[in-house]
Amino acid sequence: MLGDSKLSNDKLEVDNIDNQQPGSQQSFQIRPHLVAKFRPQVVKELVQNILSEQLSGKVYADEDMSALTKDIALTVRQRVAAMKFDRYKILVQVVLGEQRGAGVKMGARCMWDSDADNYASAEYENDTLFCVVTVFAVFIY
Amino acid sequence: MDDVGEESQFVVDEVSTIIKEAVESTIGGNAYQHNKVNQWTSSVVETLLGTLTKQQKPFKYIVTCTIMQKNGAGLHTASSCYWDNTSDGSCTVRWENKSMYCIVSVFGLAI
Repeated sequence: MLGDSKLSNDKLEVDNIDNQQPGSQQSFQIRPHLVAKFRPQVVKELVQNILSEQLSGKVYADEDMSALTKDIALTVRQRVAAMKFDRYKILVQVVLGEQRGAGVKMGARCMWDSDADNYASAEYENDTLFCVVTVFAVFIY
Repeated sequence: MDDVGEESQFVVDEVSTIIKEAVESTIGGNAYQHNKVNQWTSSVVETLLGTLTKQQKPFKYIVTCTIMQKNGAGLHTASSCYWDNTSDGSCTVRWENKSMYCIVSVFGLAI
């Protein structure tokens, strides 16, 4: 009898520890919380939308493209930041080129923490131009 | 003066030299060949990342490489980053030979 009640008391304490809010103790967070984790698919869709908005019907014109490229990079960064992936550094890279039959190859390698860090990539193409946007998200420990 | 030593900082000039060396050694004077580009881009980013990690600095690295055939078509690239300006850094190098452009970017993020 006595043993039984002691056992249930112990269990209660264990439950209490489990229910503690993360961060209530002084500790370093080394993984993102599930809710605030970078979601590549959602970001990909967002970027795809931004690209369609900004580039549909556009014709490649050398003098405008420099400003447009910068504008896309800035817009994507701001919109991704607005999605509240807390504790992430966000890197946006935009490559915009003229469609003239030239071969293009892009590649990337990352040395990072693959459990916490991630990336999303989206492309857009029309008759005169192509655009590739890559968003890298690096977790801040 | 600085309380952070140079060994734990992103030195743009140093990285720029490493990039140029990596591109020169893999592509050099080769002409654009469709079936080789795949191998070149991989090789450039991998050698680069290898050299950077050997420095044993407390950084995460992101390396990207774009190779484009020269035929008069335009190409623009831009990047925008939300990070810690004091510790993180980036370096982009444009390299070209007779038949192609090679644009390499390295981002270093302090851990």
